[in-house]
Amino acid sequence: MSLQSRRQMLFRTTLGAGGLTLSSLMPGGGIFAASAAELADPLAPKNPHFAAKAKSVIWLHMDGAPSTLDLFDYKPELIRLAGQEVPASFLQGIKTSTQGGVGKLFASKREWKQYGESGAWFSDLVPNIGKHADKIAFIKDSKTVGATHDISILKLNTGDVQPGRPSLGAWVSYALGSANPDLPSYVVLYDGNREPTGGSVNWSSGFLPAVYQGTAFRPGDSPIIDLDHPELVSDPQQREELNLLKALNEHRSALRPEDTELLARSRSYELAYRMEKSAPEAIDLSKETDATKEAYGLNDNATKGYGTNLLRARRLVERGVRFIQVVSGPIADTGGVDRNWDAHSSLEKNHSGHTKAVDKPIGALLQDLKDRGLLETTLVVWTSEFGRTSYGQSGDGRDHNPWGYTQWLAGGGSKAGYTHGATDEIGLRSIGKGVDTYDVHATVLNLLGLDHLKVTYQRAGRRERPTVVYGEVVPELIA
Amino acid sequence: MTTNRSKALGAVLLSFTSFAALNAVERAAYAQSASPQTAAATPEQVAADARAASLKALAASVEALNALAKALAALPAPAAPATAPPAAQAAAAPKAAAAPKAAAAQESAAAALLAASRGSAAAAPAPAPVAAAPAVAAPAPAPIAAAPAAAAPAPAAVASASAPAPDAAAVAAASPPHWSTLPVVAPALPQVAQKDWVRNPIDAFVLAKIEAKGLKPSPDADRAAYIRRATLDVWGLIPSPEEVAAFVNDASPDAYEKLADRLLASPHYGERQARRWLDLARYADSAGFQGDATRQNYYRYRDYVIDAFNADKPYDLFIKEQIAGDELFPGDQNAHIATGFLTGYPDNPNSRDLVQRKFQITTDMVDTVGSSILGSTVGCARCHNHKTDKFTMKDYYSLQAFFANTSTTEDFPAKKGPAEEAYAKNLQKYLDSIKELEDKRTALLAPYKQAALTYHKERYLTDSREAIFKPEKDWTPQDRWVNHRLVNKNVTNDDIIGGGYLRYIADDKEAPGHGPEAKKNFEDYQKLTVELRKFDIQKPQRGSDTFTGVEELGHADAPKTFIFSGGNHERPTDEVLPAFPANLTEQEPVIKPTATSSGRRTALANWIASRENPLTSRVYANRVWSQYFSTGIVRTVNDFGKAGDRPTNQELLDYLADNFAQKGWSVKQLHRQILLSNTYRQSSDYRPEVAKADLDNKLLAVFPRQRLEAEEIRDALLVASGKLEDRVGGPSVFPPVPANLGAAQLAWPVSKNPKDWYRRSVYIFTRRSVPYPLLEAFNAPNTQQVHATREVTTTPLQALTLINDEQVFQLTQAIAGRVIREAGPDENAQFTRLFQILFSRNPDDFERAALARFLDDHQKVLTRRILDGKFTLAEPIALKEDEISNPIRLSAFVDLVHTVVNSNDFVYRF
Repeated sequence: MSLQSRRQMLFRTTLGAGGLTLSSLMPGGGIFAASAAELADPLAPKNPHFAAKAKSVIWLHMDGAPSTLDLFDYKPELIRLAGQEVPASFLQGIKTSTQGGVGKLFASKREWKQYGESGAWFSDLVPNIGKHADKIAFIKDSKTVGATHDISILKLNTGDVQPGRPSLGAWVSYALGSANPDLPSYVVLYDGNREPTGGSVNWSSGFLPAVYQGTAFRPGDSPIIDLDHPELVSDPQQREELNLLKALNEHRSALRPEDTELLARSRSYELAYRMEKSAPEAIDLSKETDATKEAYGLNDNATKGYGTNLLRARRLVERGVRFIQVVSGPIADTGGVDRNWDAHSSLEKNHSGHTKAVDKPIGALLQDLKDRGLLETTLVVWTSEFGRTSYGQSGDGRDHNPWGYTQWLAGGGSKAGYTHGATDEIGLRSIGKGVDTYDVHATVLNLLGLDHLKVTYQRAGRRERPTVVYGEVVPELIA
Repeated sequence: MTTNRSKALGAVLLSFTSFAALNAVERAAYAQSASPQTAAATPEQVAADARAASLKALAASVEALNALAKALAALPAPAAPATAPPAAQAAAAPKAAAAPKAAAAQESAAAALLAASRGSAAAAPAPAPVAAAPAVAAPAPAPIAAAPAAAAPAPAAVASASAPAPDAAAVAAASPPHWSTLPVVAPALPQVAQKDWVRNPIDAFVLAKIEAKGLKPSPDADRAAYIRRATLDVWGLIPSPEEVAAFVNDASPDAYEKLADRLLASPHYGERQARRWLDLARYADSAGFQGDATRQNYYRYRDYVIDAFNADKPYDLFIKEQIAGDELFPGDQNAHIATGFLTGYPDNPNSRDLVQRKFQITTDMVDTVGSSILGSTVGCARCHNHKTDKFTMKDYYSLQAFFANTSTTEDFPAKKGPAEEAYAKNLQKYLDSIKELEDKRTALLAPYKQAALTYHKERYLTDSREAIFKPEKDWTPQDRWVNHRLVNKNVTNDDIIGGGYLRYIADDKEAPGHGPEAKKNFEDYQKLTVELRKFDIQKPQRGSDTFTGVEELGHADAPKTFIFSGGNHERPTDEVLPAFPANLTEQEPVIKPTATSSGRRTALANWIASRENPLTSRVYANRVWSQYFSTGIVRTVNDFGKAGDRPTNQELLDYLADNFAQKGWSVKQLHRQILLSNTYRQSSDYRPEVAKADLDNKLLAVFPRQRLEAEEIRDALLVASGKLEDRVGGPSVFPPVPANLGAAQLAWPVSKNPKDWYRRSVYIFTRRSVPYPLLEAFNAPNTQQVHATREVTTTPLQALTLINDEQVFQLTQAIAGRVIREAGPDENAQFTRLFQILFSRNPDDFERAALARFLDDHQKVLTRRILDGKFTLAEPIALKEDEISNPIRLSAFVDLVHTVVNSNDFVYRF
């Protein structure tokens, strides 16, 4: 049965009150709260504002902020000037710290090469991504605000430097609903053995109803909290329990025939029971071919964690999940401490390790999506909270740079083989207007067929939208 | 705004706000002319009639108006504001003699006005006074609205600086005052047909609306349903079968009163009510952001709130303490802890931009106070003049100015009690155990200390750095704030010297002092640090001998506050002083600096907690109402502005609000009155005719059933299992979490004492980055901002939580054990007991049959399980040997209980 027809069946069999969840969005609901609008499943598929190019988004967050100067933003002038003070003109008007801050211009020992017909430059750290140069739309004039990770990560995901707003994935869930009733429509994947720092606030539904928040799929075989039965309850036991539960609930619900919230609650157990099978199946890689596993780097400890998540991401895309947020995990650094991309020192070691972990899997993902005909409708966003400075720090590291860095899009209707904007000669600041996180959000929504100005939610007197009071679509990024 | 003019206006407006006095007169008029025919008029007619009557009154009083205008013009105020409050002045006339500085001319003009308005009110159809508040105010929209605009020239100046404002001001000036900004006036009781249904005034207001729709209220809920409902609503717990039986069998005429008093007298009341207040206070035991540092003494604020509710602290005092307890009651530790309300903001201690941090923190304080207490979306005006309410950026930043000098301190020493001493002892034990390593590390780092401190300070951004490096004698108030923040976050600790500076000079070839020695020392530092971390787990994870609160650092002068263009703190425009929102009052804050504090928050608190404030009592009464009836009388409980919903029954809300303030702001009295109303006593049974006539149940002709809140679900399970560890207050606890949660050991150090696992949910540690999964699944509050409404969403993840969670299953085993112990071996008796415990009712025949059949079938499933080689079965917990007859049957009973716990009847209250 196709996903669509399964959903239709659900609707038919449950008085139209079907879907993954049913909510009385009004506070407390009340017995008669089931007005026509609220009979609707909050995650029922909704039409976009205009024809969508992308159906799903894979949001690759490089946690800790890579130096894109050492990956994509080739600056011969920086290499030439390395070791000199930053010319004052480049620093005018930006707030920096003086210590551990503005060091001398720094160039790492990279080799640079042009790839594809577009001739985009890639460093020797990302050869596998380089192979897909002609699938990529670079945003080389990215900019944001904030000097610390936490606030800029929040802004990257939610549009505000203070917690409380919905993340982009939550807005997408809210605006488009779910395409698969058996899985959450917004999934978060991370590797490493615990939640990314900052935690769930980065996939929060904020002031939107909680039903739109991201569901963290945890590493390991049991991706969702409480997905597995209690130790002493087997599947046949649970099946019988659910049968009894259904009988008890229906018996009492008969006294309140119009109470759809109670009906929905009864039904949510059947959906949960199905999710117990569908969620592990969605991330079960045992049916993937050896070639696929090899391509994603599952046979190599360096790439296994991230590769597993990207392969899971592809499987989730195939199953209709709308928004998949993949957070890159930490890797072992000096002193036995795990560290993300945040290379204030020892950039060479740090970035060699991190690119080793992600370059091959990302290349494999782009190829795999292409081979399966999914790239056209799947938007891959390679993103981070900010970039790193052209000047060095601690000798061989780089500081945070919110003024100019590179992010990129691929697939999902983005313009392949295109480079948007640029940074200055030393790669420190974006030239011209620059593309802020709000603009990225507006553009991603546009590719999903959504006008960011029309995705609104009324909250405490404000008509809220994903891009706060900012944001413009970058039309050049769209094919 | 010149002082003279505003004083004059203030005097006039003061009398405006006290026009409640008119009510008595109107009540009398109403009583005289009330008749059954007019009582049958629809509310719409009533309102229309009242408006018409008042318009007549206004027309009749044009002369009086003119006279009053002349009189006011004689004062040093311009003509425009002088025309502002005549209607109000007229209404307040009975008190005019008491109004300060009221000129004789004013008095006579007002008297004339009053005569006109009274005359017409008396002549008007009877129900007019019911709608007294809006009706009297309605005819005078233009002058009243003109007042704030004309009296406050500053917003206009600001407006011209930031583009959209002139329009907004014009729009605001043209529209009538919004209902919620008008004074609270006790409305007269409406006439109703079914008089014997009215137990207290609430019922009259509710019934009048029900009857106007041609409906009848529902009959009483049965007593068992009532006590389960009331116990959940007041305590957040389910009643014991014994409590249910006692109430059901209580033949005394005051059985309900006794129940209400018993519920309100229990500390469980405070625990439940505090939880809802903590939602508003965005309470959490950690700071949020990436580090999500533990706020180990912040539970003291939670306990303050619980104690305040249990002691029935008057709500006005409760608010004053939370906004300005440090200024108002110096030396009172509890009042100081209360200011934790302001300090609960999410924070990133490692921020390098302290000037920005100050702005974010002040913003949080203003938005929290505005939203939680005033039900106002003031935060909208941070970036632009409010689009729907008459609230300008100047108003907003004037509110920020009240908090300009407010600093947070997280380590005020707490009064020593047994808990503090025990904590100090544990801490000392930990410190002793690491002393040797710590001393070694400190000695290693000592030579670097000064350089490291400088290095660290230099890492802050430009404007923060200016303050940090300035000599103390040159500090501005803002510099003082920045430096307090710097020191308060303890920048001189070893991590910063070693992990920051020493790492830097060890790594960076160009750093001063770089060399083999620095490298070696850094390596030693790292080794010592790894050793020290092994002791982290021995550090006392709970308790404190300190508390968190605000202070003004011993200075009365405050940093300047500016209007920030577009809400960007790097773009200041005009300076503002503390002022109340112009659309709510013409009062000027009376600020009396103390020796150590600006006195600004005291001025704000006094105004917010005064009876003249039109929002404070309404907003809170509405919140309490919404707890009982699922939705507020104003559905948008956090927005009483124009974008919010209008009240479904404003007379009822104004009655509750007025009565609440009249009764000394007693929150318990407010609860008691609702509990004892017939409105609350109604059955929630389905009635098709009501469903048809009133789809959203706005009339409350049927009691709204409601899903239990997250904490209620867990706490009810604890009660049912008999495992509830019933103690009030103390440091937060860490019950076990699902294995795949992946929380770090230090983020979620599961409490060692299993009794802590069974504390009420309000005591569970609220870690912003790791919400407790069982609560999170059922719409626990978001801890980042004021959380006003517990949503009800129904998701498969909730089903997974209740059907699969190990904690729930273990509680189920305990419930099964309790049922068997209490009911004996007879299965039918066990079913009865189980239903009594969980649902406060007996099973019916269908249910008994279904349960019995399940046991038979399930026994087979379990037998098969054993034949498959799985010999472990779940048993009921804590049974004696002689109670264990057939282990398979007993295990089936555990699964039966597990199922019943998942049913709608448990998770809802009806």
